[in-house]
Amino acid sequence: MTHRTLLIAFPKGRLGDELVPKLAGTPLALDAEALKSRVLRIPTATPGVAALLLKGADLPRYVAAGVAQLGIVGSDTLDEMDMDLLELADLGFGACRLSLCAQEGVTLEALRAKPHLRLATKFPKATESWLSREGLTAELVPLSSSAELAPLLGLADAIVDLVQTGGTLKAHGLVETFVLGRSSARLVAARGAYLSEPARIRPLADLLLGALKARA
Amino acid sequence: MPVRTPHFPDLLFGPAARLRKWEGALIGLFEAHGYRELHPSLVLRESLPDGALRFFDGDELVALRWDFTVALAGLLARGFPTPPARVAYAGAVFRRPVQPWEAVERFEVGCERIQPEGESSAEADLELARLLMAIPGVLGLKSAILHLGHAALVRRPLEAEGLFGDLADAVVAALSRRAPHRVKEALDGHPSAGRLTAHAEALLSELDGPTTLDALQASPYAELLRDERDHMDRALKALLPILPPNLELRVDLADVAGLGFYTGPTLRLWAPGAQQELAAGGRYDRLFPGLGRPWQAAGFCVRLSRLLDLAETRPDLFEQAQ
Repeated sequence: MTHRTLLIAFPKGRLGDELVPKLAGTPLALDAEALKSRVLRIPTATPGVAALLLKGADLPRYVAAGVAQLGIVGSDTLDEMDMDLLELADLGFGACRLSLCAQEGVTLEALRAKPHLRLATKFPKATESWLSREGLTAELVPLSSSAELAPLLGLADAIVDLVQTGGTLKAHGLVETFVLGRSSARLVAARGAYLSEPARIRPLADLLLGALKARA
Repeated sequence: MPVRTPHFPDLLFGPAARLRKWEGALIGLFEAHGYRELHPSLVLRESLPDGALRFFDGDELVALRWDFTVALAGLLARGFPTPPARVAYAGAVFRRPVQPWEAVERFEVGCERIQPEGESSAEADLELARLLMAIPGVLGLKSAILHLGHAALVRRPLEAEGLFGDLADAVVAALSRRAPHRVKEALDGHPSAGRLTAHAEALLSELDGPTTLDALQASPYAELLRDERDHMDRALKALLPILPPNLELRVDLADVAGLGFYTGPTLRLWAPGAQQELAAGGRYDRLFPGLGRPWQAAGFCVRLSRLLDLAETRPDLFEQAQ
């Protein structure tokens, strides 16, 4: 890989599962054989452009440092990490809600009335910001996965988590009690690459937007 | 290009020699244009911000110099009844990093042009732009890009709409991300949402040469910003004919970095492929009046620490092996 190879950071997981089929048959389709392997740098159908497959929480760091020139990541992750990067477009897909969720029958008012509220979340910054707006205080229980278990097992009174269809919540007897915000996939760019080499980066961003629009 | 710098970097033989050479060459360039060097103390005693490296000197809380412009402004406001027209500086500043790859100790060289209030500042702005245009050649950069911006392109519409505080900050943060959709989100329900979103789209539609200024015509604030547009147009007409080879001039209408400080034209120097700007500056006419002096000022700072990093990680961007 040289300085001339352009890298796009693609997310693994839920967003990646939506993204990869959208790119099939476009100039940025990922190499099918490489996708089946454990390789995390995947050639695309366009020579000189490769994809990095990264966890959402790591992806903004790769783009902010300029290792990848472009990336696709959820706005929830962007807001949580607040990295110095550019956000060129709201791609529309991967839409979900960041919600306060509790066991069925537990209302927002009941949670507000708790003298010592405990909230488990992967999104402490967004949760703190909401608590501050609401004039509430709470003990935050930081988790990195399976937050739905926390209210069931007494680790927390409620959780703040992403909700797409609500299927996982329902399976655990939880319901949304308040929507804190909304999230969707965003096209991000490295500030330095975009501002110092727009003639290289903007056409690539346009190619990616065009590929996604064509499949929309 | 990943940039990883220890927070308190030691400079070994190569970078130390490069730092000495570049400092000397840049101060020489400034002196040749009438700028005289001042060296404010490394220890500052007033208005110490959170990001400064603070410590106790006996019972007194002091800080290492965190910013040359602020340090120089204090020195000039205290010690000079009339401002020296041109000053230069070189040395280190110490600030806690915002980004993980930034060093705490940063080497800078810069210059400032100071005038009594009321004098025309257009020629001073051009003088600084011409000086900055000479810097890639002095540093041996193979090519560079100079971005021209103007702080008022964002500030004046915000003020005209009566937007201040958190909401204005949210709009500026969205523009810094170059995300007009975030401007729309931030202003959801506000009466100015449609106008400011259209303005953001106009500012962000182009990042190119002189024709970029035409994008302002699509803004609902085109008339409000006529003076700023004319100022930028005149600057481009003056600078383009004298553009050195391998330097590209671009207009960046959405430059909002340092918007709380800058009041007029802004300048930023990039090298193609560099992850961070290598020099930055602009007009900051509110600094000296805030210190009780009716002076206006503009200047720029060359970020030598970033250049030292670049020479290590991207030597191909320089004329000679650095």
